[in-house]
Amino acid sequence: MSIILKTEKLRVEYRSREMRQATKVAVNGLDLEVSAGEVFGFLGPNGAGKTTAMNVLLGFVPPTSGAAYLFGIDVRQPIARQRIGYLPELTYYYKFLTAEELLRFYARIFGLSRATTDRRIAELLKLVELEPAAKRPIKGYSKGMQQRVGLAQALINDPDLLILDEPTSGLDPLGRMKVREIIQRLKGEGKTVFFSSHELGEVESVCDRVAIIHQGELRAVGRVAEIRGNHQNLENAFLDLIGYKPQPAILP
Amino acid sequence: MKNAIAVAGVVVKELYRRKDFYVLFIVTVLICLVMASVNIYDDTHIARYLKEISLLLIWISSLVIAITTTARQIPAERENRTLIPLLAKPLSRTELVAGKFLGCWLACGLTLLCFYVFFGALAASREHHWPLENYVQAALMHWCLLGIVVSMSLLGSLVFAAPSSNATICAVVIAGILFVARHLDQVAVTRPEPFRTVAYIFYYALPHLEFYDLRDLIIHDWPPVDWEYVGLAGLYGAFYMAVFIISACLVFRRKAVN
Amino acid sequence: MTSMRTNLLLAIALLVACFGMAAHLGPEFLGWRGSRSTGDILNVVLGDSRRLFASQFFTKADEYYHSGYYPSMFDNKSAFQTAHIAADTGAVNSKNEGDEHGFLGPPRNWIDRFGRHFFPNRHTHLDEDSPDDLSGSEKVGEILPWLKLSADLDPDNVQTYTVTAYWLWSRMRNVAEANAVLHEGLRNCPKSHEILYEMGRLYEESYHDHEGARNVWEQGVRYWLQLDPSITGGNRPIRELVADWITRPTNLAPAQSGDKLSMEQLSTHLAQLEENAGNLPRAIEWLEAAKKVSLTREPLQDRINLLNSKLGQELNPLLKPLF
Repeated sequence: MSIILKTEKLRVEYRSREMRQATKVAVNGLDLEVSAGEVFGFLGPNGAGKTTAMNVLLGFVPPTSGAAYLFGIDVRQPIARQRIGYLPELTYYYKFLTAEELLRFYARIFGLSRATTDRRIAELLKLVELEPAAKRPIKGYSKGMQQRVGLAQALINDPDLLILDEPTSGLDPLGRMKVREIIQRLKGEGKTVFFSSHELGEVESVCDRVAIIHQGELRAVGRVAEIRGNHQNLENAFLDLIGYKPQPAILP
Repeated sequence: MKNAIAVAGVVVKELYRRKDFYVLFIVTVLICLVMASVNIYDDTHIARYLKEISLLLIWISSLVIAITTTARQIPAERENRTLIPLLAKPLSRTELVAGKFLGCWLACGLTLLCFYVFFGALAASREHHWPLENYVQAALMHWCLLGIVVSMSLLGSLVFAAPSSNATICAVVIAGILFVARHLDQVAVTRPEPFRTVAYIFYYALPHLEFYDLRDLIIHDWPPVDWEYVGLAGLYGAFYMAVFIISACLVFRRKAVN
Repeated sequence: MTSMRTNLLLAIALLVACFGMAAHLGPEFLGWRGSRSTGDILNVVLGDSRRLFASQFFTKADEYYHSGYYPSMFDNKSAFQTAHIAADTGAVNSKNEGDEHGFLGPPRNWIDRFGRHFFPNRHTHLDEDSPDDLSGSEKVGEILPWLKLSADLDPDNVQTYTVTAYWLWSRMRNVAEANAVLHEGLRNCPKSHEILYEMGRLYEESYHDHEGARNVWEQGVRYWLQLDPSITGGNRPIRELVADWITRPTNLAPAQSGDKLSMEQLSTHLAQLEENAGNLPRAIEWLEAAKKVSLTREPLQDRINLLNSKLGQELNPLLKPLF
C-alpha cells in the first residue's frame, strides 16, 4: 500500500512569549505514515501539537527541522495540495459570495474544467443539502450551513486525501452521524481520511489506525485494537498513555 | 497565473458588492451637479472650475477606494480565517499576493472607468466637445498611479498589523509624495548635511507620482502628452509596482497564516 | 439597582435642564460680539479663516489666467508677486520683476526634466489672441468662479471686486454683471475709492455716461481725501477740498501714502473728462492734484503746460496761428 502522508522527525519550534523560555517546542520528532485507503485518527489533548502538525502538512507553517510529504511531494510545494481536501475546525468563508460561487472559485484553483466543476457542484450541494440556499450569500447562512459549505469545498476536487480538523466539533448528534457516514463512504471509495478529534467514541468506530500525541511527542501509533490493548475502551487507553491519573472523589 | 486571476476575480466581486464605490460615486456626482448649478455671473460656458472640482473628487475617491480596498485584503482574510481554506488549496503565497494585486488594480480600473465617463459627460455638457485622446491618456496614467498605490498598500498590509493603521500611513505617504516629492531636491539644496543627503535619497528613491497627474492638462485644455512619454511613465510605474509586489511576496512568505 | 421608571425620570429631568439652559443662554449668545451665528454659511463654518482661503482663490484665478503654468511655493515667484489679472487692470502697483516664462529654471535632473512633460510647461495668457489653442478672449471667463469665491470668502477685500469687475466689463463685455459686482463691493466696503474709480471707468467706457463717471470719481476723491483725519469739512464742494489739499504741505496721511496710485488715477481720469468737456481750468486743477501724488511728475507737468497753452489760445484767438 502506498504511503500517502509521511512525516520524518518533524520538529516545530515557536518563539515563546514568556521571557524565561526562548522557544516552545510544539512538535518534537514526529514520525508518521498514513497509507492509502486508511481512515487515520490523530488524537491528543488540547495543546498536544495536533493542529501544529496539521498546519505543517498543509503548508501553513514551515518545520524547524525534519520533513513532511503528501503523495511523496514536499508539503512546502503548492502542488502537494492538488489532491487533498481540508476542512478546518472553524469554518469561515467569503460572506459576499454564494455557496455556488465559492465552490466555483475553489474549483478554478484546482484547475477543474467547467463541465467537471458544474457536475461536482451539483453533486456536492445535493450531498450537503444546500441546494435551496446555493444562490444566497454565505453571510446569511447558519453555523450548520457554513459547516456544510466547508465540507463541500473540502470535497470539490474529489480528493484522494481528506484532512479534517475536529470535523464533528459543535455538531448535533444528527450532524455527527452524517459526518461519520461521509467518512465511511469515502473509505468505501478508497479515499484516505486523516482527522483529529476529541470524540474518542467516534474514533473507535470509524478509524483503522490512530496516533496519540502528547506534549509534541508521539506516544503511540497503531490499530485501534492494539492501542486499546487490555483497557476497557480507547478512552482509558488514551488517558493512560498521556499519563493521567484520576483524582479520588472528595466526599462532602 | 490562472490562480492569480481566480483570486483577482473574487476581489473584483467583493468591490462591486460592497457599498464603498457606490457611496463615493454618488457623492461625487451630487457635489459636481451642485457645483454645475451655481450661477457664475450669468456665464453658462464656464467649465474649467467644474472640471477641476470633479477631477479632484475623482482623485480623492479613487485613492480612498484603492487604499481601503487593498489595505484590508490580506488582514481581513487572516482575521476572518478565510485565508486558511484558501492556502490549503494548491495556491502559493506568491500567487495569492499577485492575485490580490491584480484584483485590486482591476477593481480600481473599473471604478475609474465609471468616474471618467461621468467626468467626460459633465465636461461635454459645458464645452460641447470631447477630447477623447486626452481623457484616455489621463485615465490610463491615473490607473497606473493607482497600481503603484495598490502595490504599496499591499506591502503595507503585510507589514502593519491593522488595516486602519496601514490605510492611514499609506494615505499620508501618498499625499506627501503627491504634494512634496517633486520639490524635495529644491528643499535638499537649502538644508545642511546630513539632511541634504537624506532628502536626496528620498527624492530619488520614492516613486514620483506627480508624473501621473494630468489634471492640469485636462482642465486647461492642453494638447495630449506624447505617447512615448506616457509609455516611459508606464514602465517607471511598472518598475515600482514590481518592487512593492516582490517585497510583499517576500514578507508574506514568512508570515504566520493564523 | 435603579428601576426603569427612575432612569426615565432622570433622563426627562436632564432634558428639561438642557433645554432650559439653552433657552436662558440663547439670547446672550446672539448678543455676543464674537457670535458667528447670524452670518452666512461660510462665515459660520470658517470664521475669520475664510480670508486665508480667499487669497488662495484669488491666486487660483491668476493660475487659471495662465492655464495652469504657475509657480509653486518652491519656485521663483518674483514675476508673479502681483497677480497678473490684477496688474492688467492698471489699478494696482505691479511688483513683478523676473522671468515669467522660465520661472522653473533649467531642468535640475532627469526626474525634473521628465516630469515637465506632464504639466503645463509654457507661459500663456487666456485673453491674448494668439495661434496657441490655449488663448482666446472667450476663454478668459474661466477665471471668474475663483474671483467670485474669493469675493464671497472675503467681502472686505476691495481688490477682488475691482479685478472681477474689470475683467467682466473690459474683457468679457458683461457690463451689467460688472456693475452688479461693483455695487455689491460698495455695500460691503462703503467708502472704497478703488471701487468708485472702477465704477467710473465702467460708466465712462461702457455706458458713456460722463456725468455719472464724474460724480462717482469725485466721490472717490472725497473718500480718499478723508483718509486724512486732519481734513475737515468733508461735505464742502470737491473743488474746494482739492484746492485746499493741494496747497497743504506734501505730507500725506499714512493711509494715503500707501495708496497714492488711486488718487493719481482718479485725478488723471477726471482731468481727461474735463478736458474732453472743454473745461480746461478744471482739467488743470485735477492734473495739479495728480502731480502731488505721482511718481512721474514730468509727463503731468507737460500736460499741464499744454493745457495752459491751449487756454492761452482760447483767451487770445489772435495767438492761435502761432501754435
